[in-house]
Amino acid sequence: MKKNSSGMSRRKILLGALNGAGLLLLSGCENVFNQLHQNQKVLSLLESVEGSNRRLLRSLTGKNKLAQEFSEKDISRYFKPNGNPPPFTGQYVMDAMSGWSFWRLEVGGVVKKPGQFSLEELKAIPGRTQITRHDCVEGWSAIAKWKGVPLSEISKRVQPESSAQYVVFYCMDTDQEGNHYYESIDLHDASHPQTILAYEMNERPLPIEHGAPLRLRVETQLGYKMAKYIQRIEYVASTREIARGKGGYWEDQGYEWYAGI
Amino acid sequence: MQTDSLIYRHNRITRLTHWVNAFALLILFMSGLQIFNAYPNLHWGSKAEPDEVFFSIYATNDDGVIRGYTQLYGWTVETTGFLGIQQTEMGPFPRAFPSWLTIPGYFWLAGGRRWHFFFAWVFALNGLAYFAYSLARGHLRQFLLSLKDATKLFPMALYYLRLRRESPQEGDYNPLQKFAYTGVLFVLVPLIILSGFAMSPQLDVAFNWLPAMFGGRQSARAFHFIVTFLFALFTFGHIVMVATTGVINNMRSMLTGWYAVKATSPEPEPSEPEAAAAEPPPEPTSAPAEVSGKSPEAKAQTEDPSHEEK
Repeated sequence: MKKNSSGMSRRKILLGALNGAGLLLLSGCENVFNQLHQNQKVLSLLESVEGSNRRLLRSLTGKNKLAQEFSEKDISRYFKPNGNPPPFTGQYVMDAMSGWSFWRLEVGGVVKKPGQFSLEELKAIPGRTQITRHDCVEGWSAIAKWKGVPLSEISKRVQPESSAQYVVFYCMDTDQEGNHYYESIDLHDASHPQTILAYEMNERPLPIEHGAPLRLRVETQLGYKMAKYIQRIEYVASTREIARGKGGYWEDQGYEWYAGI
Repeated sequence: MQTDSLIYRHNRITRLTHWVNAFALLILFMSGLQIFNAYPNLHWGSKAEPDEVFFSIYATNDDGVIRGYTQLYGWTVETTGFLGIQQTEMGPFPRAFPSWLTIPGYFWLAGGRRWHFFFAWVFALNGLAYFAYSLARGHLRQFLLSLKDATKLFPMALYYLRLRRESPQEGDYNPLQKFAYTGVLFVLVPLIILSGFAMSPQLDVAFNWLPAMFGGRQSARAFHFIVTFLFALFTFGHIVMVATTGVINNMRSMLTGWYAVKATSPEPEPSEPEAAAAEPPPEPTSAPAEVSGKSPEAKAQTEDPSHEEK
């Protein structure tokens, strides 16, 4: 221990010196980059490649190729429930306690047949089970088995008008300021066979912390696209009028709408 | 002026792509560390089980005593002040890599991603331009490591260590240089691109083999991180070589194209490009220089074997 402590202090001095030198050298640099990052023109330039990324990646991958499906033994022992805390409102708690018997998924927007679905009705539609990898924007991945209704089955029932471009998911959870989570995907991803509204995780009803009673799975994109605690789905021509107009809760705060990277 | 003469060593395209590349790599490095800071742990395999971390930068708080640690397998060192905990004006702050190494300098994953993906395009298109140009010009062949070169790596190292009198170098680049350049261009560059691609859920959908070739998406992330530091190591070596083999001359040649050589051999080679080059360096983009770069004679001159720059 003694030997260690002297080594520790030398290391501390060394690290301190390194940090000091780095600060002196780069704090100027840091300020420049911070200011550049806050400049709207620079930011727009940086953001301009998002469309190219989407086009390039989608043209490389084509349509309806399936994400890798894993086996039972690959399922994660721990799956981090990220994002907002569950929506502990009176309504939500009551719905959860009643086994979601009063909860309804509302589907509307520019569709020919808007409708409502109970959890039982959703479960009656031929479902899809998939063991897939969830990739968080933070960098971690986790694998789970999901069962749910393909979103294409919902589309088939509500029949979107030709003007529909996006599917918007309105959620029950909120951040500390009370802003509701929401997300949107385009029809390209909405019709992907692995894009499902999941009501089961690892062969059990979707847990509260993972978005009960219903969450989205979009296996071509990052985790923040996969809205939890879904209340309502809307087919829309544009997402510009919704919240801050960027097509999602995190998108409104600077993240890419296209999260295929 | 005595016996020094100037040769035109790096043409416009080499110089331009070099500096664009240097800038893009710097931004990619710093914005990459910002992205890493969002989840400063590395795993092997497809998934990230919290108890299967092989590398981690973290902070602990024992009754108000805040410390930063860096862990590699079973080996942990305290790195408070540099990694894990950064001293700021408002006191110690937990962050894996310090703010002065990241873009933006405050914690903002979305911002880091924006810089990273923009400069990934700059890096890729600039690299492609350089690669295509060098291929067309036959420049790649000059520094491609051959089997014969590989056998000379050790003698070359001995020469550098002054344990051997003669350099085993033939041609424009010495075996160690060839090893470094070939390694970067044909190993590190493909690895960094493929491991980056392997982290894209969209690409993984079409190319299941992409994460699989690294052993899973988390392995690909680990490779991306490790190869980043191999790039950093190469860059460090490169800068050391530039600094120790005549920094002004080296910098001038990469900025203006003109490099001074000592006329060691008395045999005069008054070829026209040399004559043109002997004038005080004109504008770097001057026409005669460009012409001289194209004549084979001039090429032999301009890529002087006795002056390696690493």
